[in-house]
Amino acid sequence: MKQTIIKFLCISLLAIAFVQVSGPAAAHHGWSWTTGGNIDLTGTIQEARLGNPHGVLKVDVNGEMWTVEVGQPWRNERAGLKDGDLAEGVEIRVIGEPSADANEKRVKAERLYLGGREFVLYPRRD
Amino acid sequence: MGDALGWVEGLSIANELRTSRWGYASVNAAHILGISLLVGAVVPLNLRLLGLWAQIPLPALARILVPTAAGGLALAACAGALLFSVRAQEYADLEIFQAKLLLIGLATASAVYLHLREGLLLAEGSSSRQRVHAAISLACWLAALVCGRFIGFSMP
Repeated sequence: MKQTIIKFLCISLLAIAFVQVSGPAAAHHGWSWTTGGNIDLTGTIQEARLGNPHGVLKVDVNGEMWTVEVGQPWRNERAGLKDGDLAEGVEIRVIGEPSADANEKRVKAERLYLGGREFVLYPRRD
Repeated sequence: MGDALGWVEGLSIANELRTSRWGYASVNAAHILGISLLVGAVVPLNLRLLGLWAQIPLPALARILVPTAAGGLALAACAGALLFSVRAQEYADLEIFQAKLLLIGLATASAVYLHLREGLLLAEGSSSRQRVHAAISLACWLAALVCGRFIGFSMP
């Protein structure tokens, strides 16, 4: 009996470890999934999905579709963004950290530019 | 299914939470409080069922820990439903979220079965049924907790 239980617990832990290793590279919480360096992209917003737990834009950059992670409502608001600023068809320049997985076209924005106006989402990051 | 999820996302409470700062943060905090009560009660009770602290009477322990776990689960489920409503479609599509719901279902079913057979305060005597439940419960709740935390790191 005791051995069965121990075996069950070990298999469960292995299953958890497996999920962790094989889990999707996509991520949004924190910065552990990014490269640490910044990239600079300019494109047109194709889709904006804003709100908690965080906002996501689809941006067409010279024919490549990038996923741009922006802030939650309070962070976007603090940066000076108004409702409707991040909308379909808007030209946007993004400076932020890309995913460490080079195959993934995903960037977490630190700063945005809309028509020459700067919006800083993370003031203490360069 | 997609219609139902769309309807959930369109609820006024979901729209409210999607744009609020402290409202969303508070529901998050309530979810964590529920989980901490649940896991904090379930882990010692299961270890007792597996043979630890054998000198402590089981019914006395169960009288405290069973309602604490049930209350924690209820709070976590209510707050969790609210968090889910904000992005119902995306969460429902997430494999790790589906795994989490399955684990919660398994652990809850195992607890309901045990208490139906042995009463809310659990019979003394450390049956093999209790040990099997304890192993399932420990593994499922801890795995559900890990899956839950991983959701935040794997959104599309």
